[in-house]
Amino acid sequence: MNPLFRNVSLSGAAALLAALGMGAAAHAQTGPIKIGVLAPVTGPLATPGKDMVEGMKLYWEQVNYTAGGRKVELVIADTTCNPDQALTQARRLVHQEKVHFMIGPLCGHEGPAVAQVSKETGVPLVMDAAGADTITKWSRTPSVVRTAVSASQIGHPWGEYMYKELGLRNVTFIGQDYTWGHEVTLGAVRSFTALGGKVAKMIWNPIGTKDYGPTIAAIPEDTDGVSAVVVGADRVRLFEAWFNFGMDKKKKIYGGYWLHQDVLPQMDDRAIGLIGNSLNYAAGLQTPENIAFTTAFAKAYKRLPSWFGESAYTAGLWTKTAIDSINGKVEDREAFLKAMRAVSVKAPRGPLKLDAYDNPIQNVYVSRIQKIKHPVLGEVLTNVPVKTYEGVSQFWTWDPKEFLARGPYKR
Amino acid sequence: MDRGRAVLAAVALAAALALPSAAGPFWTGLVTQMYIFGLLALSVDLLLGHAGLFSLTHASFFAVSAYTVAILQVRYAVPTALAAPAGILAGTLLALLFGLAVRTRGVYFILITIAFGYVVWGVAHRWSSFTGGDNGVTNVPFPALGAAAITSHTQYYYLVLAAVIVCGLGYRVFMRSPFGLGLRGIKASESRMQSLGFRTSAHLYAAFVLSGALASFAGVLYVYYNKFVNPVAASFPVSVEAALMAIVGGTGTIIGPFLGAAVVLGLRNWVSSFFELHAAVMGAVFIATVLWAPQGLVGIAGRLRARFGKAKERTP
Repeated sequence: MNPLFRNVSLSGAAALLAALGMGAAAHAQTGPIKIGVLAPVTGPLATPGKDMVEGMKLYWEQVNYTAGGRKVELVIADTTCNPDQALTQARRLVHQEKVHFMIGPLCGHEGPAVAQVSKETGVPLVMDAAGADTITKWSRTPSVVRTAVSASQIGHPWGEYMYKELGLRNVTFIGQDYTWGHEVTLGAVRSFTALGGKVAKMIWNPIGTKDYGPTIAAIPEDTDGVSAVVVGADRVRLFEAWFNFGMDKKKKIYGGYWLHQDVLPQMDDRAIGLIGNSLNYAAGLQTPENIAFTTAFAKAYKRLPSWFGESAYTAGLWTKTAIDSINGKVEDREAFLKAMRAVSVKAPRGPLKLDAYDNPIQNVYVSRIQKIKHPVLGEVLTNVPVKTYEGVSQFWTWDPKEFLARGPYKR
Repeated sequence: MDRGRAVLAAVALAAALALPSAAGPFWTGLVTQMYIFGLLALSVDLLLGHAGLFSLTHASFFAVSAYTVAILQVRYAVPTALAAPAGILAGTLLALLFGLAVRTRGVYFILITIAFGYVVWGVAHRWSSFTGGDNGVTNVPFPALGAAAITSHTQYYYLVLAAVIVCGLGYRVFMRSPFGLGLRGIKASESRMQSLGFRTSAHLYAAFVLSGALASFAGVLYVYYNKFVNPVAASFPVSVEAALMAIVGGTGTIIGPFLGAAVVLGLRNWVSSFFELHAAVMGAVFIATVLWAPQGLVGIAGRLRARFGKAKERTP
């Protein structure tokens, strides 16, 4: 937290210094490394925002807030999931706080706003949550790298899984009606139909749809499976409606992006056995890295991390690895970005490395909801991987040039 | 009295001119934003403070003009000299249509403007092949008129400051004209104005369109400041906030909406950097305004001056 007085008294002096052109460079290498973290601490996505901030803090606490032989300071800025606010806060981090680089934001539509600030100031931006496809495809910025995931990157394997593993041929797609929902759903539709699958029906619902009855009534009789891409509070509403209408006895529903860890505490045993997600992370993943991470997270915060928590933790790991490899010289932005692009990390979610378009090549896990006995938390519901797609590229199996020429997914 | 005001205005102007070199780029950016949203709040207040109409659709004009400029500049490389007027024109045309709302009064007017606002937001959000959906339109350049181009946020700050001063002066002249006085008359008693022979509906319609045009101008300034626009600009909360800015600052004045914008944006952007529950602080400010200072900050200043002035009269 920033004490009020420092902001007031230093702002003038800091501005004068900057005006004289003796800003960061003058005390390079001696002061701490300042990292600006942009997250929605308040607002509609405050819950994942909290996961993000806490995952980030957990990582830096574990390494004693040091990287490349220097101290590390986090400056948290609240974006409230509003792009105007995200833009102003990013400018505050850059101009007032003089951060060396920024991590964030979370909400998809804040991404372009913060990328804008990175572009105009040259301060690197590490995107650890916002998933808009276009950031690492059609509108790339040289100073922006993404350590999280592209929306359609998790959709493509999902389409193949439904066709090959679940044996579905005629699927009804329920999708959330906004950019992220379009890109995940249509990514799955493309890989599913490329294999020969048929779309029985597409049903789009805006975020905050109160009643999923009409959606369920619209599912065609002859469909052999339903794929759900739903976010926020809609996830619970769809879940409740599905069971209340007795659909669990008639049809099968599978989550392409549905029941992640942050919503599972609100679920009961009816969820057990459902395929909940196709995602680059599943909290029930049994690797040494993930067991260590989830145990530490559970000890600190009394819950399991969602993919936002893991993604922030990994952004910490990734940036530290990069800072270490350049001996803490984060003032050299080019070198820092080059290091971010060059290093590979072993994150809780698996091995990671950036592709030539600044998006990670990573595993995608299709997971099933199960009740496990957790050493810290006791009995909890979690996502346990049932199928791992290793080293998935944001372009899936297609040629990047061809993919880019085809243009973005739009409904 | 008048001399005191002139001194005050001169000090304020000097402070505004000195701000970029004294306070650095963050504050310059934030104050630019305050000017722009102050202008939007002023356009809302034209109806609220002078005509007594509570509009909740002004984000529509703001966003339509911002989108028009952004799409023309980014996709069709149209120069600022054409794109900016086109933006104002598009917003004003929409105001010509939405102005039909003045056929209603009171709560019906509020409801119909809310509905209009949602239509525009829905189009911005859903017609993604044209508006870019959630991602909006990005990479809007700084404005340029031939060889004269804005190249930094500081230069843009001065441009916006000049625009705001011109708008404020124009607004003042306008409000003192027979037309402006007519609006006040309608606010005080519409039936009396009618019996005096005024066509009050036409009067209000003209005010609505003018207010829409001003909001559109704010939209143009906004898009060049932000360099992007997305459906949030058209959303209901923006309309509400603009009205709240006018109320907090003081309705029926020129400086009030700008003060209100400074309070709202200042709270959100500055207080949030050290206090997590900043939204609650904002709520408390609104409640306090409604309960104890219905005339807003300008009203408080007026009351203080009245008290101070009286005390001074008594002393000699």
